[in-house]
Amino acid sequence: MASNAAVPFWRAAGMTYITYSNICANLVRNCLKEPYKTEALAREKVHFSISKWTDGKPEKPNDV
Amino acid sequence: MAMAALRREGRRFAPLISPRPITAFRSSPLAPTREAEGPIGVRYISTQVVRNRMKSVKNIQKITKAMKMVAASKLRAIQTKAENSRGLWQPFTALLGDTPSVDVKKNVIVTVSSDKGLCGGINSTSVKISKALHKLNSGPENETKYVILGEKAKAQLVRDSKKDIELIITELQKNPLSYTQVSVLADDILKNVEFDALRIVFNKFHSVVSFLPTVSTVLSPEIVEREAEAGGKLGDLDSYEIEGGETKGEILQNLTEFQFSCVMFNSVLENACSEQGARMSAMDSSSRNAGDMLDRLTLTYNRTRQASITTELIEIISGASALEG
Repeated sequence: MASNAAVPFWRAAGMTYITYSNICANLVRNCLKEPYKTEALAREKVHFSISKWTDGKPEKPNDV
Repeated sequence: MAMAALRREGRRFAPLISPRPITAFRSSPLAPTREAEGPIGVRYISTQVVRNRMKSVKNIQKITKAMKMVAASKLRAIQTKAENSRGLWQPFTALLGDTPSVDVKKNVIVTVSSDKGLCGGINSTSVKISKALHKLNSGPENETKYVILGEKAKAQLVRDSKKDIELIITELQKNPLSYTQVSVLADDILKNVEFDALRIVFNKFHSVVSFLPTVSTVLSPEIVEREAEAGGKLGDLDSYEIEGGETKGEILQNLTEFQFSCVMFNSVLENACSEQGARMSAMDSSSRNAGDMLDRLTLTYNRTRQASITTELIEIISGASALEG
C-alpha cells in the first residue's frame, strides 16, 4: 500500500519520527525558565560509543 | 644453651629419630614459624601464613559489603524510573500486540547487557537466549543479525558469532539513563540496520531476587500490514479512525519507530535494574562466603597456635624433668 499523500517535510528531509520528536522536545526544553532550563538541559546529555561491524570485522568506533 | 643447640640439630634428624613435634628455635610462641613437622605425616601450617590469609579475606569481605550497599542505592534510584517507563509501551502492546512467533525474513536480535561485571549470571542468560533465538529463526531464507549493547554480551558473542554482528554499542551508562539517550540509540539502529522484525532480549526486573530474561518483538511497518491482512489483533487496526490527513501507512511508520524507541527505553532500564539487583545478591553471597572462610581460618589458626604452645610446654617440662632426674 503506497502512501498517496505527500510525506511530511521531516520525513522528506530524511529524519525519522524519533529524530523529529527529539528536536521538538529540545525546543520545548529551551522554552523553560531558569533554573529549570539548565537542569533539564544538563539531564539530557547523550553519550555512547557505537561501532559498525562488517563481515566479522569491526570498524573504528565513533563516539556520540 | 646445649639444649637449644641439640634442639636445632635434632630438627634436621626429626623425621628419622624423634616422633615428637620438633619446631625451630623461637623466642615466643607467637613468632613467625615456617612449616613444622609433627608426628610423622602431620604438617601444621604456619601461623603467619594463616594470619595473612585472614587479613586478605577480611578485606575482601569489606569490599563486597560496600559494593552491595552501592548496588542497593543505585537500584533504588533506577527502579522508580523503570516502573514509570512501563507505561510507555503498554499501550503499544494493547494496540499492536506482541507476536514473538511471527515468521519473517530479516530478523535482528538486540541483546541488552551490562558494561561492568560482577553481576551474577544475567549476561550469560541473555546471550544464551539470543543464541537460541538465532538458531530458531535461521532457515533457508531467513537471516538473523545481532545488535549488541554492552561489553559483556560483546565479549561472549564475538567469540562464535562474529559474522552475524551488525552493530556494537558500549558505554551506555556514562550519563544517567534518559529517554533522549535511548532514543538517539534507537534512531541509530533504525538507520543502520534493515529489519523485518526486531527482537529485544533483556532481563525483566520482577523483584530484587528475580530477573527473568524476556523477548520483546517490534515489527516493521510492512510486516504489520501483512499481519493485519491475516487478521487477529492487528486486523483490528482498520477499525481506528485516522485524523489529520495522513495515510495509514504513514501513521504505521511513525508508530513503529516510536514503539521501538519506547520498548528500547523500557528494556534498557529494566536490564539496568536487574544488573544492580543481581550485583547485590552476588556481592551478598560473596560476603557470606568470605565470612564462612574467615571462621574456618580462625579455627585453624587457633588450633595451630594452641598446638605450638603445647609443644613448647612439653619441651620445657621434659627438659626440667630431665635435669632433675
